[in-house]
Amino acid sequence: MSAVKSSSGAEDIIVIENLNKWYGNFHVLRDINLRVKKGERIVICGPSGSGKSTTIRCINRLEEFQEGSLVVDGVEMINDVKNIETIRKDVGMVFQHFNLFPHLTILENLTLGPIWVQKKPKAEAEATAMQYLERVKIPDQADKYPGQLSGGQQQRVAIARSLCMNPNIMLFDEPTSALDPEMIKEVLDVMVELAQEGMTMLCVTHEMGFAKKVADRVIFMDAGQIVEENEPNEFFNNPQNERTKLFLSQILNH
Amino acid sequence: MREFQPVPARPAPVKTVGPVAWARANLFSSIPNSMMTLFVMALFVYFIPPIVDWAFLSANWTGTTEDACVRDGACWVFVKAWSYQFFYGTYPEEEVWRINLMLGLLVLVIAASFTLPKHIRLKASVAAWLLLPLVGIAVLDGRLLGLNQVTTDLWGGFTLNVFMAAASIIVAFPFSFLWALGRRSEMPFIRSVSIIFIEFFRGVPVLSLFFMGSVMLPLFFAEGTNVDKLIRVWIVLIFFMSGYMAEVFRGGFQAVPSGQYEAADSIGLSYWQKILLIILPQVIKVSMPNILATFVMLFKNTTFLLIIGIPEVVQTLQTALSNSYWLGGHALEGYLFVFLVFWSSCFSMSLLARRIERQMNTDKRG
Repeated sequence: MSAVKSSSGAEDIIVIENLNKWYGNFHVLRDINLRVKKGERIVICGPSGSGKSTTIRCINRLEEFQEGSLVVDGVEMINDVKNIETIRKDVGMVFQHFNLFPHLTILENLTLGPIWVQKKPKAEAEATAMQYLERVKIPDQADKYPGQLSGGQQQRVAIARSLCMNPNIMLFDEPTSALDPEMIKEVLDVMVELAQEGMTMLCVTHEMGFAKKVADRVIFMDAGQIVEENEPNEFFNNPQNERTKLFLSQILNH
Repeated sequence: MREFQPVPARPAPVKTVGPVAWARANLFSSIPNSMMTLFVMALFVYFIPPIVDWAFLSANWTGTTEDACVRDGACWVFVKAWSYQFFYGTYPEEEVWRINLMLGLLVLVIAASFTLPKHIRLKASVAAWLLLPLVGIAVLDGRLLGLNQVTTDLWGGFTLNVFMAAASIIVAFPFSFLWALGRRSEMPFIRSVSIIFIEFFRGVPVLSLFFMGSVMLPLFFAEGTNVDKLIRVWIVLIFFMSGYMAEVFRGGFQAVPSGQYEAADSIGLSYWQKILLIILPQVIKVSMPNILATFVMLFKNTTFLLIIGIPEVVQTLQTALSNSYWLGGHALEGYLFVFLVFWSSCFSMSLLARRIERQMNTDKRG
């Protein structure tokens, strides 16, 4: 797949230009511009209702947008089933509430996409699935159902489920917000590992430790706009915008 | 450093378990409650012995004609003498193996739906269920298989109720699912057609639909075509049933969290893959109690077929009651028998549904 060359010379795998979205008359996303290079790790933070989840949900078309353009890995997101399917195969997503399929075993959750979407033989899909379960350190849970696992385990399964589809981009929508403190670490560990392997990642999260550790860029959103973006050191130590300062002081000092 | 030691679990105090504690907590917890308990016990003592005496002790069990009923109690001879008609209607006796074969097949398909190896169970049982009504018609009618034809006016009795209910629910099942999907569709045409269909068949009494099926439906067929009365009623039952079940399914659809749709989308499943692999199994799971309730309702509604002269079990019973050799007033025995037959079938369906629910429940930690 061809990728757009940006001014810096590296490949832009996601190009969002002047994206605008309305819910009815409510203007949720306003003039979003964002370029993501291949292998880049981006953390998006901001108060609730600021449009950060909506932004990344536009990238795999869980949300439609009304104005602007969005190109993912060389494929333009337009109202065309083929394009949408191509992009979805290329983009994995992890949700706040895991959204595992409760009626399928862990292994079946992982092999469903490879078997039905990528048309892989069952044995091959299962072998790959077991590899990813090893990577997220729960191969022994393969035959259980999601309801039998802890939240942290379920979220790790959800990550493995996305990885089984061999995505080039991973979206994380507040992956640790629904977890107990003790389980947050096990999920973050998996995400850090993934980041170190060079996966392109967009994470909506308030785990600032994670942002400092792995992010190439931190983006702060409020009221449907990108207020500030910077590399993590600058972002946390020297925020430029008053709104960013206020937000950081509220989440860091309590 | 001290190590954390959980306190070992202890058994519950003896006072709260055992039959005496149960009776104390549930039957004699207060003075009004104790009085109520004694009152109900008195009712039992007063009413049960005469009922037992009538139904069992002084009942008439042996014989073949009304003259055998000489004792005061129930005349079960009546039920015995008519039992063939109650079950099989006027189906010829030398061909009755076909009905029994179909009943056997029904039981077999139910059993197979639970016991087949997991990897083929779903496909095999769906195919078997969908084939069952067609095989049923072929076997019971007989022409297609080179057997003697048994025309549908000879079909009757309780097995006809079973056949009509089973054949219509099986066909209605996929249709109702489509209607429910249509009602949720974003395309205005499909949505309005679905709503009109569902609301029409839910808003009209089933009796008037039966009359429409037997009287009006023939007017719509081309001149000279003669569609069998049972088939016409079958069509009516399918429509009626799919209207009701569509609403049951709609409730089920609403109970599936939107995250399930999003997760299915995000791994790239197509619309029908998403619906069939992810959503439908969860819809059926949450709808199971209501599906059963609707099925039981339809099953009992098949007795209304007597209104248009189809010899199902109640119609057969009335024929028997007006038979000139059995004028001694056996309505009580007859209706009790029909109650028991329906009740035991419906109750076994409840048990079966509870089993399905348990099997589909994957939330238990273990």
